[in-house]
Amino acid sequence: MNKVMSNKLFIAFYIAPALLMITILIFIPLILSGYYGLMDWDGIGAKTFIGLENYIAGIQDKLFWNSALHSFLLAIFSTFSLAIYLLVSFILASKIKGSDFLRKIYLIPMLLSSVAIAQLWVKMYNPSNGMLNAFLNMIGIDNPPTWLANPSIVLYAIFIPILWQYAGFYILIYYAALKNIPESLIEAARIDGATPAQIALRIKLPLIKEVVSVTIVLAIVGSLKYFDLIYVMTAGGPNGASEVMASYMYKLAFSSYNFGYGSAIGFLLLVITLIVTFIIRKVTATKERIEY
Amino acid sequence: MMIKKKTLTVLLSAVVSSFMLVGCSSDSGEKSSASGEKEIQFMHLWPEGSSKKHYDVVNDIIADYEKENEGVKVDLEVLSNEQYKDKLRVLSTSKELPDVGLTWSAGFLEPYVGGNMFAPLDDVIESDLKDAFVPGTAEAYAIDDKTYGLPLELNIVSLYYNEKMFKDNNIEVPATYEELIEASKAFREKGIQPVALGNRDSWTGSMWYMYLADRIGGADTLNKAIDRSGSFEDPALVEAAKEVQNLVDNGVFVDGFNGLADEEAKSMFMSGQSPMYLIATWDLPNYTTNEDVPQEFRDSVKYMNFPTVKGQGDMSSFVGGPGVGLFVAEDSDVKEEAKDFAAYFVKEWGEKAVTEAGVIPATKVDAESLDLPQMYTDILNELNTASNITLFADVQMSPGVAQTHLDSIQALFGKEMTPEEFAKAHEDALSKQ
Amino acid sequence: MNRIGYFFLYACLIAVALFQILPLVWLFMFSLKSNAEIFAGSPFSLPSEFRWENYQKVWDGGIATYFFNSVWITVAAIVLTVLFASMAAFAITRMRWKLSGLVLGLFMVGLMIPIHSALIPLYSMFLSVDLIDNPLAIVLTYTAYNLPITLMILLGFYYTLPHEIEEAAVIDGCSVNRMFFRIILPMTTPIMATTIVINMIYNWNEFVFVNTFISSEKYKTLTVGIQNFIGQYMTDWGAIGATLIISVLPIIIAFIFFSNKVVEGISSSAVKG
Repeated sequence: MNKVMSNKLFIAFYIAPALLMITILIFIPLILSGYYGLMDWDGIGAKTFIGLENYIAGIQDKLFWNSALHSFLLAIFSTFSLAIYLLVSFILASKIKGSDFLRKIYLIPMLLSSVAIAQLWVKMYNPSNGMLNAFLNMIGIDNPPTWLANPSIVLYAIFIPILWQYAGFYILIYYAALKNIPESLIEAARIDGATPAQIALRIKLPLIKEVVSVTIVLAIVGSLKYFDLIYVMTAGGPNGASEVMASYMYKLAFSSYNFGYGSAIGFLLLVITLIVTFIIRKVTATKERIEY
Repeated sequence: MMIKKKTLTVLLSAVVSSFMLVGCSSDSGEKSSASGEKEIQFMHLWPEGSSKKHYDVVNDIIADYEKENEGVKVDLEVLSNEQYKDKLRVLSTSKELPDVGLTWSAGFLEPYVGGNMFAPLDDVIESDLKDAFVPGTAEAYAIDDKTYGLPLELNIVSLYYNEKMFKDNNIEVPATYEELIEASKAFREKGIQPVALGNRDSWTGSMWYMYLADRIGGADTLNKAIDRSGSFEDPALVEAAKEVQNLVDNGVFVDGFNGLADEEAKSMFMSGQSPMYLIATWDLPNYTTNEDVPQEFRDSVKYMNFPTVKGQGDMSSFVGGPGVGLFVAEDSDVKEEAKDFAAYFVKEWGEKAVTEAGVIPATKVDAESLDLPQMYTDILNELNTASNITLFADVQMSPGVAQTHLDSIQALFGKEMTPEEFAKAHEDALSKQ
Repeated sequence: MNRIGYFFLYACLIAVALFQILPLVWLFMFSLKSNAEIFAGSPFSLPSEFRWENYQKVWDGGIATYFFNSVWITVAAIVLTVLFASMAAFAITRMRWKLSGLVLGLFMVGLMIPIHSALIPLYSMFLSVDLIDNPLAIVLTYTAYNLPITLMILLGFYYTLPHEIEEAAVIDGCSVNRMFFRIILPMTTPIMATTIVINMIYNWNEFVFVNTFISSEKYKTLTVGIQNFIGQYMTDWGAIGATLIISVLPIIIAFIFFSNKVVEGISSSAVKG
């Protein structure tokens, strides 16, 4: 057994395709971008080597940390909303009527491209013609906020569509995980007189722990490098109030022609994400693997 | 073991096809192929779906050019605005620009010219296009006395208003800035949001600031502040910033303007929700020839030059400038042909662009001889008698400073910055350069 | 649970469902409106006249080619991604080797790179091997960039597979390849279906890479085709809506098919338990 499963040739054969792909197409660009970060370069003219200057400037850049704060807030919100997604998945995976149909409906926003989602929400939030304020007016709120224009609200206003859009993604994963639990285990618990809530918390949750911890990493990493909706809906504005790390990086590298600095910011983004992920993995690490 | 063999083959071929191809180039050799024909790559930003008329004019010109020049083929790539800018950015990094493409003037050019990406076109202007351009337009594409772009459009900004809405509400069309504020207050009282402004695209707010700066400080103050012979802390510019906030305080702009895109603001104007809208001449077709816009609306739209402020300022001084222009890539394999094509394009473009696509071209056209809607003729006349055209601030500035300007504009309009802080932010960004 | 409890539960579930289905309804309305209506009117109002010509316009714009490209590029990338990721997950979770932890770490780092950091380096790499304006570049990029997330999702499941299976298989004289393709892969059908759905959505809606690496019309995909209706000064939103509807239909159909697989897979893998 041990001999077969530690045969180097087989291991290489199974890991090589994926490893080669990411090495060539992800790591080489990554290293190149880290290298560009060492340059004073507009992306077009001559490169001047300036050592760690860009990285140091990045660490001292208030705007960068401001955007990092927003990214962290998004990561925190995303992580907490996992609990809601998980709850919904529990309900759907228990054998209630119509759960199959509901599950499909829940995933719809995820199927649409971000362009469509962004357009929809921009229209919802429109202060004069939008649905949201029309509704607030109707229930008697006279001066509803101008959602995307108000710097103290805009960030949260933009989180909602993101959390909404990703609901389907996590429900899909949790649902598959819950459906993967052998019926016999649950049956056994039921015979022992466990309530549905007890089964969910004591049996199912521990069994899909590994999956949950993977989704936590996905949610955090995904949030820290999030770009799409924010860029379309506010472009980071007004005046940086909804800027996140990735949109800040994009602005520097693509709009401001500060490619060296933008690359350095991109690299810092990655380092920050790495550190956070490392901590999260340590915290959520499972000592023993559970097998069914 | 059958399975083993089969899966191995499948897997290997998958791996091979993915990696061997990355490793060794497939010699498909595109460009220099077919029978000695020269191919000019041309990239523009008028997709057929949204800008059919521009697209058709371009294709007409290309067809004519190919007919007149045997053995030359123009290879077209069309992208939307944002995508065009991003792609140009990526291509330039690898020195792979198309032979001919579109560029913006002044600040946008700087990195490309600094990196030797664009060919100087003075020889083309000298031999083929002498005196063809409206004065000042080609100059906007010049850096260190060399011209790197052949301008195609010229836009000036005017205040468009819906005359019918003024009449229906018994409000006088304002003639001065003070009346503009009064009229806005009157509209507010009737529950109408007076001026459509989509300051999420903050170049629109920048136009308001620029006009106020022009009227208060004269034509040169802002230009000097940008080229560093002056300062943004000039009292006139601080005063202009104060006036911006005064407009905000008086509820002149629509609610939540900082969260609205220009497109959303435009639709508020075009659907009769707001009576005023400050925009450049690229929107003229919407108010004249565009059949998709209701006739009734088109009939009720009029324009005015930005009014005087406290009796100060020259109403024939404009904010505006050339929009896109043609560049020729410095390391193009077919540089001579590309230059020839660019010159041909500009010559053909002028009349066709204004009559067929409603673009005000940067080349001189004889407005009298063309059959144009009245508003076009009027605007062309304004252009001819203009005392000054101040180039859009975000275009004048280099890309990095422009970003600061645009962000600060949002903050100023949103009252997160005082006029003094606004001035200082610009000074800091400009001095860092 | 009692009746009232169920009632509330369903009320909540249905309310959420309505909220989730709204964008599709909205998009459909949107696709039949004119620009003026789209911006000025309420998002869910009926169009004043049903502008089916928006669809005609889109169809005439050569959407069929874009459509075909989207389909084959998406499918090719999914096959490669899910296969490679499954193999890697198998190697990392089931096989014993020293560097597995490190390799897993590499995949996790791969998850973190912001695509705009990679865009310019990738472009120059593809340029140097003459893969610019070649759809293969897109397939490879999609595969590589979806591998980390696909692997991460698969991992959680691979860990839970009982080791007895391999032991039994090895004792029976089964080769590693046979074990993987005949036993392990079928057992992971539900999660494979999940990753297929996720990959499908990502690939189908991606446009930054296509826009950057592809310049010929004949290789462009649907999401880039939509850009055709966004102009420098004017945008045809009705046509964009129509394109979005046309582009979301196949993915909904494919999604329903694969999401049934998520459930079916369980009954077919009665091996475990």
